[in-house]
Amino acid sequence: MSGRVIVITSGKGGVGKTTASANIGVSLAQTGVSVAMVDMDIGLRNLDILMGLENRVVYNLVDVVEERCKLRQALVKDKRLPNLCLLPAAQTRDKSAVNAEQMKKLCGELKALFDYVIVDSPAGIESGFQNAVAGAEEAIVITTPEMSAVRDADRIVGLLEARKEEISQYRLVLNRVRPGMIRTNDMMSVEDVLEILSVKLLGVVPEDEQIIVSTNKGEPIAGTDNIRSGLAFRNIARRLRGEDVPFMDLDELNANWFGKVVKFFAPARV
Amino acid sequence: MQVVNWFFRRKDESVRSQAKDRMRLMLIHDRLELPADRLSSLEEELIAVVSRYFDIDRQTTRFDLQQYERRAALIANFPLLRSKC
Ligand SMILES: Nc1ncnc2c1ncn2[C@@H]1O[C@H](COP(=O)(O)OP(=O)(O)OP(=O)(O)O)[C@@H](O)[C@H]1O
Ligand SMILES: [Mg+2]
Repeated sequence: MSGRVIVITSGKGGVGKTTASANIGVSLAQTGVSVAMVDMDIGLRNLDILMGLENRVVYNLVDVVEERCKLRQALVKDKRLPNLCLLPAAQTRDKSAVNAEQMKKLCGELKALFDYVIVDSPAGIESGFQNAVAGAEEAIVITTPEMSAVRDADRIVGLLEARKEEISQYRLVLNRVRPGMIRTNDMMSVEDVLEILSVKLLGVVPEDEQIIVSTNKGEPIAGTDNIRSGLAFRNIARRLRGEDVPFMDLDELNANWFGKVVKFFAPARV
Repeated sequence: MQVVNWFFRRKDESVRSQAKDRMRLMLIHDRLELPADRLSSLEEELIAVVSRYFDIDRQTTRFDLQQYERRAALIANFPLLRSKC
């Protein structure tokens, strides 16, 4: 088996990398494929909490790399989905504990075992980012429609462009979109951000309080039916699997009628 | 193709289009590693050079930055009134 290694990255902190990693992991696993989620935010372990697995962590990624345990011993099985696993980060080490070579080797081993390997990365553009992307062939860039987050996402896109040899494709997830604020022209629209960054869109996730509730429960929102943000993540997983899923209510989330007329005469790249 | 219009910013613009314009201009500077004051000094020099050859209409002289994918282009427009030689 040779799985796909997909890194989730953002530049700016707190825009939703870990939330996206957990939900994309769950959504992919729900479609039946096997998935490993890797927490590369060494020293700031979070993904175990979002998955509700913090009490089951025995070994971690650094233990594997430093050969204190076998890879299989460090993998924590999800509570609900038998085909979903987490490789937790070390909480008491720092970003230098794993280098790019070691990460490449680890991802190589993981993709021999799983269909999908989802890597959650730390904020920033320094070594932590470089190591997190080291073993990946694909990337998901996540941002919110705020100026500082978009600026940092652009840095990441620049860095991914420079790694064209290794990263064959990257797409954008726009998180915490507030359709109401776009409608009143108080915030950049999905279309605006895509135009500015010149990237392909993978998904749009609305701002949703339920995401915070789900974090507190340790059950990613993608596992719950009838919730828009959960559906957004499930759609992202289907698009990753190559399905052509229409963007949900993008028109509503998007520009006013005038924007649509302009688009009709001058279609946007997306 | 997008035209970045930092020259004539209208007062009644929405927050959204302000953010979009600022964002585009900021990213063009980031991507080119261009210091904030470089474009205005370039404009001054360009005007000085063209003015050696022509009388130009300063009122309608325009500089625009256009974005093509992730690349930028500087578009200058000098309305020429008469030759100086
Ligand atoms: N769509 C959303 N709606 C509401 N809240 C959200 C949404 N996405 C993320 N959040 C909240 O934003 C906060 C930051 O999310 P998260 O931890 O996933 O970001 P991160 O990019 O991993 O942060 P860091 O850079 O610190 O690792 C969390 O409290 C999370 O619940
Ligand atoms: Mg995180």
